[in-house]
Amino acid sequence: MTIAPGVDAALGRCVEATRALFGAAACSIALVDGDGSTLTYVASDGAGADEIVGVSMPVSRGIGGWAAMSGQPIAVRDVQSDPRFARDVAESTHYVPSAIHAAPMLDSDGEVLGVVSVLDPVVEETSDWTLNVLGTIAGLMALVTAAAASAPATVPQPLAQLGSDVLRLVASWEAGDSGRSR
Amino acid sequence: MSSTPAWSGAFDRGALQDVARLPLDDVRAWAFAGSTGAGVKVAIVDSGIDGDHPRVGGIAGGVAFQVDPDAELGYVEREGPHEDLVGHGTACAAIIRALAPESEIYSVRVLGANLKGRGALLQAGVEWSVESGMHVANLSLSSKSEAMFGPLHEIADHAYFSGTVLVCAANNLPGPTYPSQYASVVSVAARPGDEEMALAYNPRPPVEFGARGIDVDVAWADRGSITATGNSFAAPHVTAMVALMQSKHPWLAPFQVKAVLQAACINAVQH
Repeated sequence: MTIAPGVDAALGRCVEATRALFGAAACSIALVDGDGSTLTYVASDGAGADEIVGVSMPVSRGIGGWAAMSGQPIAVRDVQSDPRFARDVAESTHYVPSAIHAAPMLDSDGEVLGVVSVLDPVVEETSDWTLNVLGTIAGLMALVTAAAASAPATVPQPLAQLGSDVLRLVASWEAGDSGRSR
Repeated sequence: MSSTPAWSGAFDRGALQDVARLPLDDVRAWAFAGSTGAGVKVAIVDSGIDGDHPRVGGIAGGVAFQVDPDAELGYVEREGPHEDLVGHGTACAAIIRALAPESEIYSVRVLGANLKGRGALLQAGVEWSVESGMHVANLSLSSKSEAMFGPLHEIADHAYFSGTVLVCAANNLPGPTYPSQYASVVSVAARPGDEEMALAYNPRPPVEFGARGIDVDVAWADRGSITATGNSFAAPHVTAMVALMQSKHPWLAPFQVKAVLQAACINAVQH
């Protein structure tokens, strides 16, 4: 797990837990900069994590940018055929995914704080279930982000523990259901 | 938290329950058969449309709204051609073109390369659609801003009474999103299945209709196509159905359009 300097560790635990939940190759959070035109990756876990953190790109690029602009979660199954897929960014991380799920992180005022992206999740098929779960998690990540922004290092304990709690649940679920069927 | 998935889960085949419909015989033939959408103005309130995309085949016109802190309303309005910044609007337009090939599609761009002020631009886009006499508007986007609840509700009611049907994608995010939450609009989520004209009704709103939106082959930017999933793609299927029925029956008011859509659902039965 990699986080940018000054970013709350709770966000790092969130991406770690979300990657485990989806059995994904990687999970990342990108936050919107001050003027609303750029997304910067601040936390990542899995393939390419070290390379992607710190990378900035315009909100009009990539699948994550689309989720941020429309305010709607999206799943794209064959991103490499998407001409707007940020291939150069993916290649710079040495991992080029075939599927991306992305959801916007919205604060209580409805403003877009960032985007959470999941690369190559292990799911039986694309469904509304994945988008509903990812959308819900993105909302929780927005709470963590907003809390950290308003009072650094004082993320409320229940939120700070969110990632750890999810990881524990995933571990116990996998231990009890090795078939991973849903 | 509910143990069943929100919105789209209501349209799983196992979850669908029968709903009573108006005593209309062969409603799908009455509403859709033989229609091309000719004469119907369709606004796509989104990221713009690439009218030259082969799956779109040209558009009738458009307007772009853009944030401008120096402007009186906080944004500026520019009539005329513009590009699609991400491909989202082009995807919606191509779905509608495939089902209602002779409808007149207008691009109303409210999504830009900047994430600030989305709610106000959305309101402006809907206002333009109503004032420009659009018969139906597709909104595959939404706002979670509580501050926008009132303004968007007001313009949604204005659209309803003016005869502009607003077809809105529900959001997979927790909590209410606007304007898909309002009773005056046609709210849509994705449901399983690959039938383009299939429709299901959810008797437990606020999301009332389910349409195709999972693993859809959609047009995209740079004349390309992708396979994507989202309620964003379910809404344009319903928008096209509305355009088809409005072309055949231009006197239909928004509340009648919704009743016909409900009667055309796969789980609507006559009592």
